[in-house]
Formats: sequence, C-alpha cells, structure tokens
Amino acid sequence: MSDFIQYFFNGLVVGCIFAIAAVGISLLYSVLRLVNFAAGDFLTLGAFITYFLSVTLELNFLLSVVVSMIAGMAISWFLELVLWRNLRRNKAGTLALFLVATGVALMLRPIIQFIFGTETRKFNIDILKTYDFLGARIPQTQLLVLIFASASILTIALFIAKARIGKDMRAYANNPGLASVSGINVDRVVLATWLISGALGSLAGVFQGLVQGQFNNAMGESLLLSFFAAVVLGTIGDAYGALAGGLLLGLIMELSQLSIFFGGVPSNYKPVVAFATLVLVLLFKPEGIFGYRARKV
Amino acid sequence: MEAFIQPGFWIFVLALAGIYGIFSLGLQIQYGVGGIMNFGHVGMMAVSGYTIAVLVIKYEWSFWWAALAGVILAAFLGALLGLTTLRLSGDYFAIASIAFAEIVRYWILNTDNVTGGTQGTLAIPSPNGFASYTDKPDVILTWISDRLYPIIGDEASRDLSMVLIVWPFFGLFIWLSSRLQKTSWARVLRATREDDDVPRSLGKNVFRFRLQTLIIGSVFGGLAGVFWSVQFALLAPEDFLRIVTFYGWMILILAGATRVKGLFVAAIFFGFLYGATRFLEFWPLSLLSSPERAYLRVFLIGLVIVLLMVKRPQGLFGKRQEMILE
Repeated sequence: MSDFIQYFFNGLVVGCIFAIAAVGISLLYSVLRLVNFAAGDFLTLGAFITYFLSVTLELNFLLSVVVSMIAGMAISWFLELVLWRNLRRNKAGTLALFLVATGVALMLRPIIQFIFGTETRKFNIDILKTYDFLGARIPQTQLLVLIFASASILTIALFIAKARIGKDMRAYANNPGLASVSGINVDRVVLATWLISGALGSLAGVFQGLVQGQFNNAMGESLLLSFFAAVVLGTIGDAYGALAGGLLLGLIMELSQLSIFFGGVPSNYKPVVAFATLVLVLLFKPEGIFGYRARKV
Repeated sequence: MEAFIQPGFWIFVLALAGIYGIFSLGLQIQYGVGGIMNFGHVGMMAVSGYTIAVLVIKYEWSFWWAALAGVILAAFLGALLGLTTLRLSGDYFAIASIAFAEIVRYWILNTDNVTGGTQGTLAIPSPNGFASYTDKPDVILTWISDRLYPIIGDEASRDLSMVLIVWPFFGLFIWLSSRLQKTSWARVLRATREDDDVPRSLGKNVFRFRLQTLIIGSVFGGLAGVFWSVQFALLAPEDFLRIVTFYGWMILILAGATRVKGLFVAAIFFGFLYGATRFLEFWPLSLLSSPERAYLRVFLIGLVIVLLMVKRPQGLFGKRQEMILE
C-alpha cells in the first residue's frame, strides 16, 4: 500500500510536469499544425536560465523563474518573426515544419551547452527534506512542485476556456478559415500560442529540474517523446486532452513500477513505458482518449 | 589550413559520405518516392550493426553471415514498423517511428549481457575474451592497403581501403535505386504520395506498396549499418541517437528529395561538415575543444536544415515546381 501511495504521488508530480509541457505542444499543433520537436530544449533552456539567475547571480528563486519564462517567450517570439511566419507564407508542408522544428532544436542545444556548459547543475534548494505520509516518502520539493504545477494547470485551463485570446485560439484551431473571416487576427493568435508555449516550456523545465534534483543539458531532449506520448494520449491538438494525457502518462509510468505489473518495470525502462504507451495508443486508439479518427489509409 | 590539403582528411570525409549516403538513400526511397516520413531510420542502422557485433563476438558467427543476418533483421524491423504504424497519417507515423528507434536504443542500452550496454560492443561477453568483430573485413582492407602501399606509400590507410569498398557499393545502390524509380511500381508509389484515392480506385493496394517501400528503405539502412560497423570497428548506444536520422534527412533535403544522384554531392557535403568540425585545426576552429566542436557540428547541421527549408526547400538539385514538401 505504501508502495502504491509512493508511486501514485510520484506519478502525480511527473504527470503535472508532462501536462504543462504537453499542453504547449498540443496548442501549437492545433493552431499551426506544427509538431514542436524543439519543445524539449525549451525545458532545458528554462531550467538553465533559472539556474543562472538564482544560483550564479543569487537572485530570488521565484523572480528567476519568472524571468526564465519571459526569456522562453522572447525566444519563441523571435523565432515566430524570423522563421515560422515566413514558412506559413510559403505554405510550407508537414515535412518542412517537422524539419525546421528539429533544426531549431539542433541549434538550440549547442547554444545552451556553449553558454551554460555541460556540467550537471542543481538549484539552491534543500532537496533532502522529506515528509512521511502513510509510509511513503514525500520530498518537500516535490510537494511544492505538485502544488505550484497544479495551480499552473488550473490557470492554463481557465485561460483557454475564458480569456478572449484563449477563445480565439480554440476558434482558429477548429476552423481557421471561418475564424479569420469572423475577424480573428491570425498573427495575434499564432503569436499568443508561441508565447504561451514558450512560457510553459520554461516553467516545466524548472519543475522538472526541481524534481530530478540535478539536471544537465540533455534533460528536456530526453523527455520529448514522453511529452508526445502525453499529447497523443490526450488527443493531438486538444489542450484539455493534453493536460489529462500528461497526468495519465505520469501515473502510468510510475505505477508500472509496482510489483503487481510483471514484477514491476525496472526504473531505467521508464522512458520505454512512455514510448510503448505512445505506440500502443497510436495502434489502437490513434485519436486519443477524447478524439476523432486520425487514421488515414 | 593544412588539414584541407591533407589527403587523409578527405579520405575520411569520403568514407563517411559513402556510408551516410547509403543511409540517406533509404530515406530517399521512402520519402522521395513513397512520401513516407520515417524519422526512426537510425534504428535500422543500429539493429544491423549490433546484430553483426553480437553474432560475431558472442556466438562466433562468420562476419559475412552476421552481416546478412543484420540486413535481414533491419528489413524485418522495417516490416514490423510498417505493419504496426504505417496506416497512420504522416505526422503520426513520423512520431511513432521516432519512438520505435528510441525503443531499439533503450533496449541496446539496458541489455548489458547481450549488447554490452553503455560500454558498447567492447563489453559484449565473448567466449574467447576478444570483443572484436571486424577480423574478416579487416583481412580485405589490409589486402587492399598492402597493394596500394607500393604505389602511394603512407597514404594507403584503412580509411582509403574503406572508401574503395564503400563507394562502388554506393554507386551500385544509387544505380539500382534510380532503375527502380523508373519502374511502374515506383509510378504507383508516386501516385500514392500525391493522393491515396486515385491509385486505390485503380485497384492498387496502397498499404502494400507503402510497406514494400519502407522495407526496401530499411534494407539500405541496414546496409549502411554494415559499413558503419566496419568503419568504426566499435559500436555504442550513443552512436545511434535520434540526431543520426536527421543527418540522413539533411543529406536528403540538400540533394532534393526526388534527386537520387544529388545524394553523391550532398553526402560529400555532409562528410565535409562532419569531418571539418572534427579534425580541422585552423582559426577559429582551433579555439574550440573537442566537445565544443561536437556542439558546433550539431549547430551547423541544424542551421543547414533550417536554411534549406526556408530558402530552398527543393534542395540543391530539385526543381521548385516538383517540390513535394506538402
């Protein structure tokens, strides 16, 4: 029982982070039909900028997180202006978008390595303090991450549902033609989507860095496919689905280690659980848990 | 600047270009003809390379039989990938194919007693305690350099022998593939790339055509793995990261997806980019340490991909009108 509580708690924490990263990817897909292969590296970037501000420059941690989110937004904005907008004008196809997103990831990674180095980093936060809850070990950092991440998820969900630009996004994603003739400013919607995904990327990166305790520049990249799994699980392009898919995937990955499942999946196979979930969902329910049919042939 | 005029540098570039050219040819058939976006191609190379290493070192097979088994297994893996996920539409298949290659890599990484795990093929348990699998091809490579030595002296290296073996195969494969792309089979495939319904209305089994293409492409991925494993004589899981697939894609889009023969030039360009960031020793490269050069390489490859897609999506040799990046 205490094992179950432990893994369930871990799953919630991981799941919240997946949800935050996945919703950014899913929004981008719904608005731009872009699978953002650079999403993982935005996480790394957010974690490293926060590290630089809070540890090297000794600024307040929360302030550092906010600045790193703004930096994530600024870079996304810059890329939208110099890159994505042109590609949209040229009516670039799926492959072009895929490859450019990958190219951005390939460029971002060395830049991070070059500026911040390859060493393993950790935030200036006490990661050793733990609480005991029905026999499960609950580290303080993870509890804080869970609280802040849940609050972020609620904010995102409310924003998409209620804010003017959130409604515009959903309208545009549903029917781009109809949305633009009804007076929705397309460039503004696209820009807002990039800004949201940039900010969420940084935020998820900080959370992930906190949960791992220490991190290096491969952190985000290695999680990318898990995010895709969350996105696909929650129906690609569906923002609420991505939130649910992220949580669900986090729980699946952690609970798969319980000994009742084939004696428990070894923890170094956790990513494989995510990949396998991705492949299985694509095989048997490619439209995701909420979605429409995506099969083509 | 000296390295530029050193034959050794260019020989390495050519060896690499030949191997990655063959790798890319697999993607060319899949995407350029069949419109299949396979982002897990590196998995085929990994499987064939590792099959060779494991069969030769652990089970003491002959290299040649092991190479054959490696290529067959790569084809088999292509079939498995296709049968399970090829019915998905383009972007879903692309994501699934990446996951597929990553599963292969994680399996290699975590199955220490078969694959040597993180330490690579050197750690494969061997009955005679000697974890090398290139003895048989090395005999041939040495034979070639022994013949060349009286003529060109010290330039007769293992790399040069490798070039002399890889490039004729590369040429042969390009020739075979361009023949293949003139057949009626390829015409049906091209039709499926543009529109599923037309070929289907003519009674063609679209799925079967796509599956065949994926398998043929995977065979080339497997063949590239054979040459790769001989060239580097040692395999490790980090040799088969996702990025390797994108090396192949860079070569392909540089050549122009429908231009088979453009692969020669594009592959040499890639080999140069790779070799230059590794060996060249002039300013400003001389300021960088070797891991920093590895970042520079990744950065440049990202840059080339982005610039090509924005400025010249049809590649160096393609025509804009028949650009198929839709």
